[in-house]
Amino acid sequence: MSLTLGTGSVESAPPTAVRTRRTVRLDPRTKILLVLSSSFVVMAPGGQPFVPAAVVLGVLLALTERAWARALGLPLAASGVAAVAYLLPVALPHPAVGIVAVAAAFALRFVAVGGVALHLVHTTRPTELTAALRAARVPRAITVSGAVMLRFLPAIVAEARAVRDAMRLRGIGGWSGLLRHPLRSIEHFAVPLIASTLRVAEDLSASALLRGLGAATRPTTMRPPRFGAADAAAVLVVAVLAAVTLLSGAVR
Amino acid sequence: MIRVEAVRWTYAGADTPTLDGLHLHVRQGETVVLCGPSGSGKSTALRLMNGLIPHFHEGELDGAVHVDGLAVAGTPLERLGRRTGTVLQHPRRQFFTDSTETELAFALENFGEPPQHIRERVAAAIDEHGLAAFTDRRLQELSGGQQQQVACAAAAAHRPPLLLFDEPTSNLSTAAIERFTATLRRLRAAGATIVIAEHRLHYLHGLADRVVAMRDGRVDAEWPGEEFATLDDEALRARGLRARTAPERTRPLPAYAHGPSIDHDATPSAPSGAGLTLRALRCAFRGRRVLAIDEAHLPAGVITAITGPNGAGKTTLARIVTGLQRHDGEVLLDGRPLKPARRLRESAIVMQDVQRQLFTDSVEAELRLGVPPGAELEERSRTLLADLDLEPFGDRHPLSLSGGQQQRLVVAAARLSGRRIVVFDEPSSGVDRRHLRSITGIMRDLAADGAVVLLISHDDELLAHATQQELRLRPLDGHRDPDVDHPTKRPGWYGMGK
Repeated sequence: MSLTLGTGSVESAPPTAVRTRRTVRLDPRTKILLVLSSSFVVMAPGGQPFVPAAVVLGVLLALTERAWARALGLPLAASGVAAVAYLLPVALPHPAVGIVAVAAAFALRFVAVGGVALHLVHTTRPTELTAALRAARVPRAITVSGAVMLRFLPAIVAEARAVRDAMRLRGIGGWSGLLRHPLRSIEHFAVPLIASTLRVAEDLSASALLRGLGAATRPTTMRPPRFGAADAAAVLVVAVLAAVTLLSGAVR
Repeated sequence: MIRVEAVRWTYAGADTPTLDGLHLHVRQGETVVLCGPSGSGKSTALRLMNGLIPHFHEGELDGAVHVDGLAVAGTPLERLGRRTGTVLQHPRRQFFTDSTETELAFALENFGEPPQHIRERVAAAIDEHGLAAFTDRRLQELSGGQQQQVACAAAAAHRPPLLLFDEPTSNLSTAAIERFTATLRRLRAAGATIVIAEHRLHYLHGLADRVVAMRDGRVDAEWPGEEFATLDDEALRARGLRARTAPERTRPLPAYAHGPSIDHDATPSAPSGAGLTLRALRCAFRGRRVLAIDEAHLPAGVITAITGPNGAGKTTLARIVTGLQRHDGEVLLDGRPLKPARRLRESAIVMQDVQRQLFTDSVEAELRLGVPPGAELEERSRTLLADLDLEPFGDRHPLSLSGGQQQRLVVAAARLSGRRIVVFDEPSSGVDRRHLRSITGIMRDLAADGAVVLLISHDDELLAHATQQELRLRPLDGHRDPDVDHPTKRPGWYGMGK
């Protein structure tokens, strides 16, 4: 038994024109693949020569989503860290500087991979990610709990901020209190945080279960992910970047 | 459609049953309103109908519940979910995704509908519920009223024959309530069976086929819709119900204030005396200005309502005066400029979600926290607990109390705090008639003791009873219609949109 609302508007309704912004959109699976492959190559021993290629990839991805600040900031940050890693020890030969330089060389790899990962985080909605993982035949136990995690983490952060505000008002939030009664301060923070997040979690899971989350039926997706020209272009770009790195003789 | 027979339900860990001897039949296509005092079992009755009891909440169930011919206890939750749509009290907490479109598709996707069909249904729902204007915004950025619209549409997207609403208007403005009423009317005309648990009754006039008053977990009285419309206020009070008609709002005196954010036709001449004075107050979030007050005076000894549409800066103003929010400009108390850190120590807030401010392990410890001890305090807290029906719970853990009791406990703590600035943020959501009165009484006492009492509320009944002065704000992007809810564009009181 089902209800019909309106009068035959279902057939005549225009397809939803929600995504109006014209940006290049990669399939979420491609984005995940880019993050995985770039971290694997860059983080592996001897992966240093691939850092410039990863940075270029990050900048290109930032450009596709019109994140101008990141497109500019990423190479700047990378060159800054690289300067600390490779130029500073030459200019200032000192053991302490040497340690900083080693740490910076390590951090450089994270900056390079971070650029690619930020693209995934900024352009993929949790539901898209779940749909993509499902399409990639990832088991449901992982996709459902992953989706719940993604939804729930920001809620915990918000509750924690609220509890901190409430503590400041009650005069039990300051550093002095934390130093004098560390255990009690932690209790004053943790008890309301747990109580309020539990309540949020209860509402969320009740509503999700009633709407069939985790139902025995195999779920479908409103917009099934599809590989397109953009994904082919991304693969091509990655191939070119890898080839240039290899041919430049940086990898021995 | 619904048959509840001789149901007795006790939540796990509770001493007494929440429902006891509940009989309730709802016919197909009927609209039924469940009302009654706090704790009478309204919300629990709804959980019985969508299967959250006994499938999600733990406890002991006797009796039989049938929904659309299915025995609830023996039917998996997902099968019941196809037949019911539920809107919980706080829409923002039940969103699983971050956009209107994906939220509307959520149930359809989980129930395995074909993609083409989902897209058509979602498009139709956006159309029917008038959501087109905010499909490109994040759900958490929408106003409370808009979130409610999306939650209704999401609950109805898979076209369930039964729709359940738990206190749907507790945080809505008058304009948003009107839109919600229109939604109800449309769903009802389409043949849906509707059950609404509610305290505020005036907007349901002409919508309800039947009004059921609950008390102590069972049906206390019921009236057909037309007959309920003829009951006088005395009869309602006897059942612990709120007024049936919207209270007459006599416009209270405007507070002295001027500036771009102020929405007063006239303002009294500059006052003097104790209280809060605001000068050249400006506040912006991510470069977008949300509040601009050139000068204002919020007198001590008076309950001042801060009103205006969502997005006008009510909460921001409350956060500024209590010292929680950074801003430009000056805030003076009794003529002396006060830095935010000092204002924090002079302020108390009763938040919307009170669990966030219950810190200790007993009701009595909660009242003592941060207050200098003394014999007088003992005495006062005892009277206060009696006034608020909390007397038997002195030793109980605050988190073991019901939502309404927790709220009254936080109100009591604010009363005892001795602070000069006390803010009540929607203190009446989910509050019945009697406790509405007692909370109003406490606000008056605080004012009489010389505090600056600020009340943020959409509840006309509370505003009519409590307000002595009004500070009406308007959103700063002035080209918008002031009657329409505005997006909050920032994370609400404390992180999440409300």
